[in-house]
Amino acid sequence: MISEHLQPGHIDAFADHELPSDQARVVQQHVTACHPCSLRLLSTIELKKVTAEAGRRLDPSPAMLARLTARLQQNVSAKPQPKRVLSFQRANFLWPALAAALLLVTISLATWSVRRTHNALSAELLDQHLATLSAASTPQVLSTDRHTVKPWFEGKLPFSFNLPEPNALPPGSTLKGADLTYLGDHPAAQLLFAVGKHQVSVFITQQSSGSPAATSRSGYAVRTAAAGDLRFIAIGDVDAPQLDRLLASLTSVQ
Amino acid sequence: MRAVADSQWSTVKTASRVIAGSAPPPLQQLFMNNPPTTESFEQLAIPLLPSLLRHALWLTQNEAEAEDLAQEALSKALRAFDSFAQGTNFKAWIFRILRNTFLTTRTAIATTRTSLFADAEEVDALTDTSATPEETLLQLDNAATVQEALIQLPPPLRDCLLLCDVEELKYKEIAGILDLPIGTVMSRISRARAALRTQLQPHFGGRQ
Repeated sequence: MISEHLQPGHIDAFADHELPSDQARVVQQHVTACHPCSLRLLSTIELKKVTAEAGRRLDPSPAMLARLTARLQQNVSAKPQPKRVLSFQRANFLWPALAAALLLVTISLATWSVRRTHNALSAELLDQHLATLSAASTPQVLSTDRHTVKPWFEGKLPFSFNLPEPNALPPGSTLKGADLTYLGDHPAAQLLFAVGKHQVSVFITQQSSGSPAATSRSGYAVRTAAAGDLRFIAIGDVDAPQLDRLLASLTSVQ
Repeated sequence: MRAVADSQWSTVKTASRVIAGSAPPPLQQLFMNNPPTTESFEQLAIPLLPSLLRHALWLTQNEAEAEDLAQEALSKALRAFDSFAQGTNFKAWIFRILRNTFLTTRTAIATTRTSLFADAEEVDALTDTSATPEETLLQLDNAATVQEALIQLPPPLRDCLLLCDVEELKYKEIAGILDLPIGTVMSRISRARAALRTQLQPHFGGRQ
């Protein structure tokens, strides 16, 4: 006598061939004796089949496919081939040198990897800031009112932050709007400020998202501050102290 | 611009690390003992172009954007191919690059903006009690209706379901592509199917 029916998650995993063999056997035995569960399983298998058919209806056109194939082949032929490596069997005499070199490379690589991550973040910050300077770019929320800008992010970010009163911002600084964006695949708020006649972006992310190593990039100053679990990164073509003052006004209200 | 090149690189650099560990399909075993070459990239990528384009179409819902997205993802993958861990799943690797490339587009940000979504804690809490099994036994032959229902699904649910049912990827591979725990993938697939059932209820076949 079967007292409990299978959970939907188990039925789905069974239909997707994702259950370990022992659990799959239990499900199999259960459905042979339980009519409602066997119907649920049939339903899931049928739904899976029609989903696959429907999903494949959105098929690329042959012309689209041909263009992509041609461009791929073009790119492949343009990329230089890697040189063939020396056979390890013929290079026994190189082992001691290789071991020493490997140690050196490992240490360098660890340092380089950290630097590269931070440099990539600086580059991404600059990209995102430059994108907002374009005349065609309109912020997703266009407002100088902190009571409009802050609530707009509710439900869009996995964290919350406060904005200072307009008179608590450094003199000459005004909030212009905000965008929802991503930094290193992490969601972030991008606040847009006018500082005098210059535009400054302040990115707010969680501390775990990392911070840029550089204090300037391509002529733009980059400054970082932290408050609680939040990291604030300001970028703009103004003096670093002006960015620091702007960041201080933001971190003071968190 | 150099800055742009650097940031693009950052979207692919983690792909091979995350996908590592997936079992290789037969075609890839041909390349397991050879160094990665542009020819081997071409041989691996060309059979996947229809899938890549199709998934890009689902992500962007726009033909021109989908073509640009697939093109950009392929360029990044080719540049990063030296870092592809031979013997791991190339399809999962390149789909992750496609996904990460999509996340940097305006469409992705707009999608995130309009779709509020929270993952459920437990798969077991997903029991749909609104329909009896007899009612949910599908007898659908109208793929257009199902396609319309798929379009209506929240993108996070739809992405998981399409990778599972259309691209036939394993939960572990989907988790790698979407950067999610396997439990969340399972939960989203279950929720996606429950939502599809609800949407398709008027189109189900007759009671048994």
